[in-house]
Amino acid sequence: MPKSALIFGSDKYAIEIANSVKESYEIEFFVMDENEQIDFDGEYKKNVFDLSDEWYNTEKFEDVENTIVFCTLSEESENVFLVISLRSNFDSLPIVAIAKNKESVDKLKMAGANKVIPIEQTTAEIISDIIHNPIASKVLHEILYEKSDLKLAQIEVENAEIFGGEFPADIDWSRYRGVVVLSIMHKDLSTEFIYSSKSKRHELKNGDMIIVVGYERDIVEFEKLVGSRRYVNWSDWSW
Amino acid sequence: MKRFFAKLLISLAYTLRSSKKYQKRRKFFYNLLENDNYKYKKYFDAFMIFLIFVSVFVLIREVKHHISDWLMVFNNYVISIVFLIEYILRLWVNGSVSAIIIEQDEHDTMLSREFQLDVALKRIFKRKFSYMMTPKAIIDLLAIMPFFHELRLLRLFVLFRVFKLFRYTKSFTGLVSVLASKKFEFFTLFLFTSIVVFVSSVLIYVLEGSDPQSNIKSFFSAVYWSVVTLSTVGFGDFTPVTQEGRFITMFIIVSGVGVLSFFTSLIVSAFNERLDEFKEAKTVENISKLQRFYLICGFDSIAKEVVKEYKFRKKNIVVIDSDEEKVQEAKQMGLKALCLNPGSVASYEKLAIEPHRQIKAVLCLANDDIDNVYAALTIRSFDKKVRIVSLLMNDANRTKLKFAGVDDIIYPQELIGMITKELVGQPVAFEAIHALRSENSMVKIDEIIITEAILNNYSYVGELQNKRYRIVLLGVYKKQYERFWFNPIDSTLLELGDILLVIGYFPFIYEFEKHLMKRVEDA
Repeated sequence: MPKSALIFGSDKYAIEIANSVKESYEIEFFVMDENEQIDFDGEYKKNVFDLSDEWYNTEKFEDVENTIVFCTLSEESENVFLVISLRSNFDSLPIVAIAKNKESVDKLKMAGANKVIPIEQTTAEIISDIIHNPIASKVLHEILYEKSDLKLAQIEVENAEIFGGEFPADIDWSRYRGVVVLSIMHKDLSTEFIYSSKSKRHELKNGDMIIVVGYERDIVEFEKLVGSRRYVNWSDWSW
Repeated sequence: MKRFFAKLLISLAYTLRSSKKYQKRRKFFYNLLENDNYKYKKYFDAFMIFLIFVSVFVLIREVKHHISDWLMVFNNYVISIVFLIEYILRLWVNGSVSAIIIEQDEHDTMLSREFQLDVALKRIFKRKFSYMMTPKAIIDLLAIMPFFHELRLLRLFVLFRVFKLFRYTKSFTGLVSVLASKKFEFFTLFLFTSIVVFVSSVLIYVLEGSDPQSNIKSFFSAVYWSVVTLSTVGFGDFTPVTQEGRFITMFIIVSGVGVLSFFTSLIVSAFNERLDEFKEAKTVENISKLQRFYLICGFDSIAKEVVKEYKFRKKNIVVIDSDEEKVQEAKQMGLKALCLNPGSVASYEKLAIEPHRQIKAVLCLANDDIDNVYAALTIRSFDKKVRIVSLLMNDANRTKLKFAGVDDIIYPQELIGMITKELVGQPVAFEAIHALRSENSMVKIDEIIITEAILNNYSYVGELQNKRYRIVLLGVYKKQYERFWFNPIDSTLLELGDILLVIGYFPFIYEFEKHLMKRVEDA
């Protein structure tokens, strides 16, 4: 079954999100006004909704494994109301919301959004990075967002035996030449930075997640070694 | 003889103009005496204020006590000579004699006539004399007078030294300028007061002068009584005794209350009217003294977030915006802010700064591309090098910002799209990277520049011992080739200006940096 991204709202951020995820998701827009003119010119399916509970009885939201919802209504109060309505109806539905400022971030999180992207704060952080750490910012930006040979990958461990019960801090990661291990997320959802586990003694187990940076072929080699796959059920993670 | 003297003068003028040593010294003394932004001027001013207070102390002490000889010598000769030298230096730096001679020579040469020495000398004299006639120069001259200490009256000229304080403290200058702005009102008040004093003095003298019980026997006493009564001080040493005299007294007391109220309100309103101007002047002065700062043009929502960023909180930030309300908001956030149009060169001239030296980066953060393009173009028109970062609100304007000379363009819409894509595809990896960028996290990604000191200690990546400090070396950025070497092998050569991208706990990074600098010392 194809994955679907349900986008509420039709402003410039909604369109940008649709364009960014359209390769992996089937996009559907939800707008409040049927006559609303939007930029996508029939490229995506358009539905009409209101903020009452009646229209939620739809199968679209039931398949939480293959559905992700983006709430991008420009009116902050309506956006919060939409998130809280969705969450009250669908417990496990992955919801990503766009917020203008910090105040809205807190409200959207409390309303039940899995992830909130604050526009102003994020932009400010990027400006700060560009000014203060221009090289680091450029490299990270290329790794994350642009067509760079370097890739960032999250790899789930399925063959933990190769580490022989060692703690992350004791493993000589340079053995895995080609990739740089940035971080480890344990199955119990606690993250730790690779060389900083002085206080935390937790050996690597199957199900843990390793975040690596490297070239594609080296990452593939590393994946083979730890017997892993680059897949994650997104809705399991919430910060 | 005259021709010879003229030639000599011209030759001397050209020599002085082309002499770097002479110009450098002249500029030094000009800065020391007249340039408020010159860093050593405050020390010079403090020294002169100290000398002034020593003079006043001696004058007061001398009334009833013996002053030691060395202090008298210091007061009469050393201080006076210092003031004399200062006076001569000020006379020298105010108006260039050589420039006048050269200008006259060029003028005469153009008209194919002989150098007119008389005209040149007249112009020089006029220039210097006009300076000597300024109130400050007159005070300076009179302050030298106590040099002739033997003339007792001239000792009072010490007080002119106190007036010199006007020169060294800006608040006094501000006070004078405030009062000067109400010149007409003060003149009116003075006229009114003079008429009241004159009329009441005449009246009281006529009515009381012939009465044997009254102590107002002379017209001077009558004027003195009028002034004391009008000012509502009323010493009581002169009092009217006649019925008519007391009636005049009532009139003058009522007038006195009016005069005082008028005088007070004049000063208050003068200060109120110019308070904002003073505050702005103070802000400009503070900005001009900043060594390095970030200039934010346009204080909209993203600009507010930017200044909240931890890295920016520790830096000097100056905000300019043409909207007074936004400027007030910036001030409330504790920033140095001025209501100036970012799209006008005059705004930057008013700041009295050297952009290439003082501005670290310009951030054009208005929520309007037109404003940002205009501000960026304006800044580029007078500084080609300063780094400009600008917001982009509509992608159609990207090329316009590039043409305007913006170095880094931030397009929030695009950012959100990219973030969403990464977030949806690899949420855990995204969060890990986000943690590196987050200010709340102790784990940082940092840049370490390879300096000569580090190169003296280490030549290859393998020698850095980053693992000992639990630091991940993500890669080396070679500035020379503008290329990033990811996960470099141990034999990678380090070069001056290379940048190491390291990831680790902030305290560990700090220790690692210390280790890079100190290895030789340890050895």
